[in-house]
Amino acid sequence: MTDHQWSELAAPYALDALAPDERERFEAHLSECAACRGEVRELREVTVLLADAAPTATPPAGLRDRILREARQVRPIRRRRAPIVPWLAAAASLVLAVGFGYAYLRERAALQQASAALAAQTDSLAARDSLIATIFSPDVATAALAATGKPPSARLYWNPSRHRVVMAVFDLPPAPAGRTYQLWAIAQGSKPVSLGVFNTAADGRLTTAMDVPVGLAFEVTAVTEEPAGGSPQPTQKPFLQGKMAPAD
Amino acid sequence: MAGGDERALGALYDRHGEMAYSLALAIARERADAEEIVADAFGQAWRNAASYDPGRGSVAGWLATITRTRALDLVRARGRRDRAMERAAQVDSNGLASTMGAAADPPDLRIERGEARRLVARSLGELPDPQRRVIELAYFGGLSQSEIAAELREPLGTVKTRMRAGMQKLRGSLAALLSGGGS
Repeated sequence: MTDHQWSELAAPYALDALAPDERERFEAHLSECAACRGEVRELREVTVLLADAAPTATPPAGLRDRILREARQVRPIRRRRAPIVPWLAAAASLVLAVGFGYAYLRERAALQQASAALAAQTDSLAARDSLIATIFSPDVATAALAATGKPPSARLYWNPSRHRVVMAVFDLPPAPAGRTYQLWAIAQGSKPVSLGVFNTAADGRLTTAMDVPVGLAFEVTAVTEEPAGGSPQPTQKPFLQGKMAPAD
Repeated sequence: MAGGDERALGALYDRHGEMAYSLALAIARERADAEEIVADAFGQAWRNAASYDPGRGSVAGWLATITRTRALDLVRARGRRDRAMERAAQVDSNGLASTMGAAADPPDLRIERGEARRLVARSLGELPDPQRRVIELAYFGGLSQSEIAAELREPLGTVKTRMRAGMQKLRGSLAALLSGGGS
């Protein structure tokens, strides 16, 4: 498909009107194409405004009370700041991965398993929203992580305003038993800072989001293989590394 | 919100509850359903407030997206899409955009929202009918391009062209409301 033909999918994509297989292919293309990402970002804003075309209707009087009453029974999820138990991070990553790119269909089954433990977090829409908003922000920086041009590879999107990165990994076999992959942020002249641990699915792919400590700026990202649970500092040379570049 | 402040949830509802309810009703077309959808949507926003940064982007847009998805899920789950489609087909060819001109704005409607709504309604109304129709069927009906083609008995290529052209026109006429083209 030529670039021009791809961009024709931006409008139906923004309206959620693509067939599932078409959407999947287009999302894979989006992770590689800044022009289409820009197009989608704008058209999504148009889509969102269409809500305003609905004829005005007045909600029933009791609705506000009902919403507040129901909210009292559920504690909201707090933003994760401190390191948390790795299995939870991994499970949360699954939740966040849903709805984006190839990860969507393949991880839906895993997501369903995780949903029992994470009932309050299994919210694919807000997660997808958050993932998309992270990637499509105008000030996002990206890095292509590669091992000398051979697989595996990864692409990282860093949204400094949201203190969040989204990473798409390709062709990386799952870590051996008792091992995990760990993503590092490295600022010049400083020790690497862990952004979190992850593992790929059997097909070697993963799309996930991780929090970045507030105030942390970094120029380089790298991935190492570490003992399960991750390490405070890398214990081996990175097998994937990439330099952050301004949004394309 | 992200701190779990209930007053924030109340304020969020006061600000956007009517938009969410209007949208839910336009999609589900039954008041009881619309109420469920809005309660669900705000519950979801409450539980996941931390995943969204209200300082960036539009909270209204976030809520609209949640509400629309919930509404389409419900319509599909209850197998009432066909009925909804029938009723949508009965609306005259002016579609939804024309009915909203007739709806009186409640007195407490905030001015900026009123202006934005008028601009959106006018922009949609200025589209050629066939273009507006495919966009409304996608947005309010949750139909894919092929489903729209089947519904309208038009070739798929025609639907694709209309959707693209209509969205590009809307992008132009709504530029003042978009983050990139506000100038």
